[in-house]
Amino acid sequence: MLEIGRLTVRYGGVTALDAVGLTAGPGEVVGLIGPNGAGKSTLFDCVTRRRAPDEGVIRFAGHDVLARPPHQVAGCGIARTFQHPAVFPGLSVRENVMTGAYRFAPAGFWRAAFARDGERRLRAHADRVLDLFGLLGLGDHPAAGLPYGVLKRVEIARAVAAEPTLLLLDEPAGGLGPEEAAALAGLIRDLHRATGMTVVVVEHHMEFVLGLCGRIVCLDLGHKIADGPAHVVRRDPAVIAACLGAR
Amino acid sequence: MSAGVSTGHDPGTGHRRPAVGQYAGDRRRAWPYPRWSLGVAVAGAVSVPFLVPPYPLHQVTLVLVYVVALLGLDLVAGHGGLISLGHGAFFGVGAYAAAILLSSGVPYPVTLPVAGLVAYGLGHAFGRPAVRLSGVYLAVVTFAVAVAVPPLIRRLAPGGAMGLPVRTPAAPSLTGLADDQWVYLLVLAVAAAAFTLMRSVVRSSWGRALVALRGDAGAAEILGMRPAAIRAHAFACSALYAGLAGCLFTWTTGFVAAESFTVTLSITLLAGIVIGGLGTVSGAVIGAVVVTFLPAPGLVSGLALILVLAVAPSGVTGLARRAPAFLRKDRR
Repeated sequence: MLEIGRLTVRYGGVTALDAVGLTAGPGEVVGLIGPNGAGKSTLFDCVTRRRAPDEGVIRFAGHDVLARPPHQVAGCGIARTFQHPAVFPGLSVRENVMTGAYRFAPAGFWRAAFARDGERRLRAHADRVLDLFGLLGLGDHPAAGLPYGVLKRVEIARAVAAEPTLLLLDEPAGGLGPEEAAALAGLIRDLHRATGMTVVVVEHHMEFVLGLCGRIVCLDLGHKIADGPAHVVRRDPAVIAACLGAR
Repeated sequence: MSAGVSTGHDPGTGHRRPAVGQYAGDRRRAWPYPRWSLGVAVAGAVSVPFLVPPYPLHQVTLVLVYVVALLGLDLVAGHGGLISLGHGAFFGVGAYAAAILLSSGVPYPVTLPVAGLVAYGLGHAFGRPAVRLSGVYLAVVTFAVAVAVPPLIRRLAPGGAMGLPVRTPAAPSLTGLADDQWVYLLVLAVAAAAFTLMRSVVRSSWGRALVALRGDAGAAEILGMRPAAIRAHAFACSALYAGLAGCLFTWTTGFVAAESFTVTLSITLLAGIVIGGLGTVSGAVIGAVVVTFLPAPGLVSGLALILVLAVAPSGVTGLARRAPAFLRKDRR
């Protein structure tokens, strides 16, 4: 499904990722952990073509991801969220979620303007997703100025509206309280069960990762230091030294 | 869509919802006035030429001409968040395209699509490279267009520095209308069509993409949007609107000259849409009134602009949308 091989990214003299390999099978939920600066977000940036790696291959569902321009990544079935929620402030919450389904939407100026039917379907689709995330009541609210936790949910809802086969979540529980985080983990589990999508989660919140992911990969300073079943990786002395011990 | 200015707390978040019209570029549809007010507006607009003497009618026609131009400018400036100082030039190109065709005997209905397409083509030619530049740089490039066009017109266009008088559309005799009444109704029809089209464009997935790009182009691109293509097309479409407006201007005034389309016009258009209210169709209407009646740039008009923006940073439309709630209860 997702196969990343020997991915290397250098910023000047600093190597952010050093020949990192990562695979995620169909329907797998993989946790990607590691201290700050380990290269987790950089890896996401490479998969979504925000950053061109110096070396390496990324293949997903038969597509050579690195051969595609950024706007065609969504077409492979890849969606992501950002560490700091990147919702569109000029749009309402519902409109934000509707932009998630942009790849299904009637494209182009003239076609979009006259596609009343497509618009109605898109709206219904967005409302279903909003309902899942408990955001239906906020549908008409401008996305500007909502609390952080709500913005996080809006952004995940937008990614889910794209009906991805690979969902990349960058610190979904960051800034959430313990109850909110638990609820979000439950929601992602349900979505995963319902759709069978592959999920890769970057997260510092260990309880969140352990509750969600069957497999954990740990990065430290651009190197992969562990990769295996969650209950094994959490006891790995190198992992504990790198991130768990620091807590 | 149920109207209403909501300022209450949202369930679940305890968050105070910003009132409609509180910030510039607020796209929410809530129009706090009853639906029939729209019908009244349409009826009023159609009856204007039969109630108003010729000179004021001419001015009201010009307002409608600028409405079309500002609807286009708002696509770029209000929804796209890009600053164009070149719309006066596209307006002028449309006006001259129509005037040249009219003076060589082409029937006036043909001049409208031609003027629009010429401006659309120019908009594409400038927009493709220009929208790769952001914010201030785009403003400078479009400013250069605005500065370059009037001298080019003076040199190359028929009539040169003297300007070019043309015949305005004549009313078909079976309607029994005076020519200026006929022109008003023509302009009204074009403005109404332009208004309707723009409303559905802005609410479409394409329109949302344009606003999304303004917010976060990187995140928008990952959802499958092509920033350069969408912005370039937005720019070209707004030039199309400016070109159509220019053609209507020629129909209305029957005279074009380079002096009418200087950079001052571009700046006045931009000021008009900001005062009217960015990101709202009614902002274009109010802005057009401002553009038509704003006294020549000077101390008074400058102070008036500052005053309006200090009182209503979201434009007059924002003020109007907030007014009913303010009068009713929400004196917070």
